[in-house]
Amino acid sequence: MSTTTAPASATVADAGYGSARRRDPVLIGLWISLVLVAVVWIAPFVFIVFTSLKTTGDVMTTGAFTPPATVHYQNYENAWARGDFSTTFTNSVIITFIKVPLGLFISAMAAYALARMRIIWGKLILLIILFGTMIPFQVMLAPIFTVVNSFGLIDTYPGIILPYLAFGVPYQVFILHGFFSVIPRELSEAARIDGASDITIFRRIFLPASIPVLAALLILDFVNTWNEFAMALVILQDAGMWTLPLGLMSFQGQFSNDYGQLNAAIVMTVLPATIVYLIFQRYFVSGLMSGAVKG
Amino acid sequence: MQVKPLQDSRFQAFVLLGPALVVYLVFAVYPMVDVFVLSFQRWNGLDPERAFAGLSNYKYIFTNDPVFWVAFRNTVIWTVLSVIFPPAAGLLLAIGLNQKIFGRGTLRALYYLPVIIAPIAVATMWRWMYDPFFGLFNQMLAAFGLQGLIQDWLGDRNIALYSIFVAYFWQQVGFSMVLFLAGLQGVSQTLVEAARIDGAGRFQVFRYVTLPALRVTTTIVLVLSLINSLKAFDIVYGMTGGGPAQSTQMLALWAFTQSMQIFDFGRGGAISVVLLVITIAIVVPYLRWMQRRDTGE
Repeated sequence: MSTTTAPASATVADAGYGSARRRDPVLIGLWISLVLVAVVWIAPFVFIVFTSLKTTGDVMTTGAFTPPATVHYQNYENAWARGDFSTTFTNSVIITFIKVPLGLFISAMAAYALARMRIIWGKLILLIILFGTMIPFQVMLAPIFTVVNSFGLIDTYPGIILPYLAFGVPYQVFILHGFFSVIPRELSEAARIDGASDITIFRRIFLPASIPVLAALLILDFVNTWNEFAMALVILQDAGMWTLPLGLMSFQGQFSNDYGQLNAAIVMTVLPATIVYLIFQRYFVSGLMSGAVKG
Repeated sequence: MQVKPLQDSRFQAFVLLGPALVVYLVFAVYPMVDVFVLSFQRWNGLDPERAFAGLSNYKYIFTNDPVFWVAFRNTVIWTVLSVIFPPAAGLLLAIGLNQKIFGRGTLRALYYLPVIIAPIAVATMWRWMYDPFFGLFNQMLAAFGLQGLIQDWLGDRNIALYSIFVAYFWQQVGFSMVLFLAGLQGVSQTLVEAARIDGAGRFQVFRYVTLPALRVTTTIVLVLSLINSLKAFDIVYGMTGGGPAQSTQMLALWAFTQSMQIFDFGRGGAISVVLLVITIAIVVPYLRWMQRRDTGE
């Protein structure tokens, strides 16, 4: 659905507001107001970056949007060391890099089974899974802690990865199920006549066909996992297991008066997701769109 | 498919569906059931025994817990604000950015940027911007000679909740915007052209063609905004932790505090159940509506 709407939108806009309306005053006014609001929207980022490059003295004496007189890179070095960023960064990388591909893989398998195989109570299973897309886990942090604890997995990588997987499954199955359902039957029938099993058909035909959708989901899930805070807060209690968001929260608690370093810590936490977003922006938005709004 | 032995096909379905289903049932569905059980028990999270407590947890939170009703009120206010403002602003931006204007791709990307920032980082950023002495807001007010308006944005219990909401609004607008942009692409251009040829002005086209065509999108945006608003845990935890004097306490955060900090899993469970029941009451009709729409088309 997203693949068909993207090119259409360009031609639609061309047709609607063609060359005759190029100097339309309404559009110029609109453009100016959109740019002004955008400036306000990114002002916080500018403020944070500027502060992160100032000494504490500069922060107190210079204006909010005054660029730093001398660029004080040491804030980053100091914040990195004091906030133990090497530990939290490593933990975030390990958890995200295991959870995201693994989660997509199991979701894709399940989505294939539910969309293309005859399963007893398949409809009911799908409904139960879809129900999960709508329930915020923030509502039940304590019982999640309890179940992880009963497996003895508090403060371990599997202890956080398993619930992450569980709460990632619904949305991804929802999207992939929709995608697999509309793949033409002829594509798999030929292979089936040649004697291929469902697992082979999934691996050789459906998985390659869904790479664009998988890419969009991969990026969405990367950002969500990287940013997740509440679940990590209850499950990762030992400082050696903390992820970046937990590290930032603790940094804020301890060094909130060291403005330069605090803002450097914010920038370092936010940067990886921002870079991923800016590089893969196209996939990102189409992934979100294909999920929420069926054209 | 009939050629294959049934056994084999069943085994394959099991292999494919099994991992996701087991993980989902154990770590997502079971806690949801367990929270109902917990709400009828007395438990500190450590004891091997979970004693039955009847309705005492509910009785406590409804009648003896002063914070519960504050949290309840705040959750309602928060939800109402979240359903009105970010979608409204998102719709306006989407309409603007749906026109063919210079740099609209860049503008869209900028408005969407806050959505991908970790909520806890948003909380930290805005806490710093709200800093009473060196923060952005008070500095700017001072610079414009508006000292009278300077506030302790997060320290004043009358405005703290709204201060947090402004940060949340900043983050959420892009999300609604993207959904509305997707919806706008589904608006039939033939209809728009036809209306124009019939002499409809810009506003009339919007009012009588675009807006009715966005009905489905609007419903989706409103429901997702509502569900997202219940997820607003990180931002409150990071900005005020529920303070000052519990004035920004919310149900999800209060359930967490009862269980994980006061170690009363029963009361925490009861609070979670209240919130879950409200969520389910909204979600189930919505899912049925979605299903009817899918099968209807």
